[in-house]
Amino acid sequence: MNAAALIGATLAAALCSFTAAEAAMHWAPAPVEHSSGHGGHGGHSRNAAKPFMLVEGDGASLSLINPKLNATPVTAERSRVAIKPTGMGNYHALVATRSTGEQHESAIRYIYMSGEPSGESPSRLVGHEKSELEIEPAPLAREHWRYYSATEAVFILRFRGKPLADATITLATGNGTTSEFRTDVRGRVTVPLPEDFSMIKPGRAGNKPSEFVVTASHSDGGQTYITTFSSAYSVNPKHWQSTELGLATVLGGMLLGGGIITIGRRRRKEKT
Amino acid sequence: MPFWKNLSVIRKIVQLLAFVFLVYGSVVVGFYSADKLSGAFPILSCAYDAKTADYCVLIPLQHQFGHRLGPALSAGMFSLSVMLPILTTLGTFFILFVVLNKAFCGWLCPLGFFQEVLGMIGQKLRLNRVESLDPKLVDRIRPVKWLMLGFLVLLLPLASGLGFVAPELGDPFCKICPSRILTSLAAGQLNQLYIDTSSAGYMALSIIADTMFGLILVLSLTMRQPFCRICPMLALHAVFKKVGLVKLSKKYTPRCDKCGLCSKACPMDIREIHTSKETDILFPDCTLCGRCVEFCPDEDVMALKYAMIPVFVSSPKYFKARNLAQRIWEGKKVAPRRMKDA
Repeated sequence: MNAAALIGATLAAALCSFTAAEAAMHWAPAPVEHSSGHGGHGGHSRNAAKPFMLVEGDGASLSLINPKLNATPVTAERSRVAIKPTGMGNYHALVATRSTGEQHESAIRYIYMSGEPSGESPSRLVGHEKSELEIEPAPLAREHWRYYSATEAVFILRFRGKPLADATITLATGNGTTSEFRTDVRGRVTVPLPEDFSMIKPGRAGNKPSEFVVTASHSDGGQTYITTFSSAYSVNPKHWQSTELGLATVLGGMLLGGGIITIGRRRRKEKT
Repeated sequence: MPFWKNLSVIRKIVQLLAFVFLVYGSVVVGFYSADKLSGAFPILSCAYDAKTADYCVLIPLQHQFGHRLGPALSAGMFSLSVMLPILTTLGTFFILFVVLNKAFCGWLCPLGFFQEVLGMIGQKLRLNRVESLDPKLVDRIRPVKWLMLGFLVLLLPLASGLGFVAPELGDPFCKICPSRILTSLAAGQLNQLYIDTSSAGYMALSIIADTMFGLILVLSLTMRQPFCRICPMLALHAVFKKVGLVKLSKKYTPRCDKCGLCSKACPMDIREIHTSKETDILFPDCTLCGRCVEFCPDEDVMALKYAMIPVFVSSPKYFKARNLAQRIWEGKKVAPRRMKDA
């Protein structure tokens, strides 16, 4: 089994570990034969389609919103979608919406697509209203800044574009952690991503990322709104990166610098 | 001398503003390059700094060589579309570079500014400073910047992409870059100051990075611009230096042979600015700081020009005032007739 297939299998296993209660409609990477960088920045097959699957999403309408906020419909095949490069670089939003009677659901995931520079900030896409109830990452962890275990992720819950205070949101991870949090008066909520990876190996390449899903629901005028934000999160590099040793090495470098200065001074004195 | 007439003070103010913008600018323009200007800034402004407003060209360049060109060549799928991101990055760099030429080093680079601030602290602490390095040592150091550019920025990332060397060497310059540590520390992040024990390669690179950062902290107190001398950005700038709009020019006179204050003032120890009889004296190591023009005592001999228009020209009057200001700054006895410690 090659590494890409292993990643796919691990992600599939991670998806299955979400319990039914936590599994509101949400996006997740689909198992693939060729890895495309886990739907993020840094993959090698940049021109390959990025496969995702919509969990618990039968009957949903799907769209891809590009950095300039233009939406194009997306067709799923057995809950799977393959997002081909749009020609525009930067983050895109993969959005699923579904209304059944009095329940309105949405699932949003941000994916990095290679292409020509869009000239747009990802914050414009993140701030753009994509569904009535929406979890906005504040900020979206991206490029060299990933979601890591044992770090905090901040979100703003918005209803019809306005912050929603004192609402409950739930976190569920592919490693089996679930927890609940409440938004503050500004609709903000800080979610500590759990340190719930087992069998941690040294180095980023040796540890497969897992998935987390943040879910929020809200009732208004007899209607119920449910939304999810999903993303990958990785093992915190502190497991193989030591700040203490780093500081000690800087001190060693400083001592070395002091030595070089002293030797230089002696040599100059000898010359004169 | 009023500070608004002192070119060095003006430059320090510009450097400070650039430092604030490049280290903390996302507070104004959006989180972590969210509203980045180019992703191809011709200075060491690190992408690992979560608050930066824009970042250095060297990280996309290494990634494009390592993640795109290398694998494409390896798979025999070389095409214009493979080269397009590299050309876009270099094109953006080129456009920005034309505007300010090598002045990006002397006026905007956060690491250059940091080293100058440490140098000022060293002066105030009255540490025994080395104002000019031995010419032989300078000659030995000069090729290092080209090796840094050739091996660390271009060849090793490409070799990594081709599978010839370990993935650790996909962005080797960033792994050892002291500006990565400096700017992330300045932004309140400790996450770039580490020893990575995940592999021998990562450990070696992180030891080099941290040791070099420690060396810079100490050496900058007693010598001028220690890292700038080996910076690959200096070499990259040198490749394009002819097209930049900012120029350093000289009208040679026989008095130049007896003087040499310009080369003494030069923080990069470019002694050729003293001996050269050429008009264009923008040498590969120059950072366009303008100190040589400040400390030239003769009328209209040296000049900083923008698009052929002189913007700062040497003059005896400025020289005397500047020399006096320098001696006051250094706490020396005021004897403005001759500058010895520019």
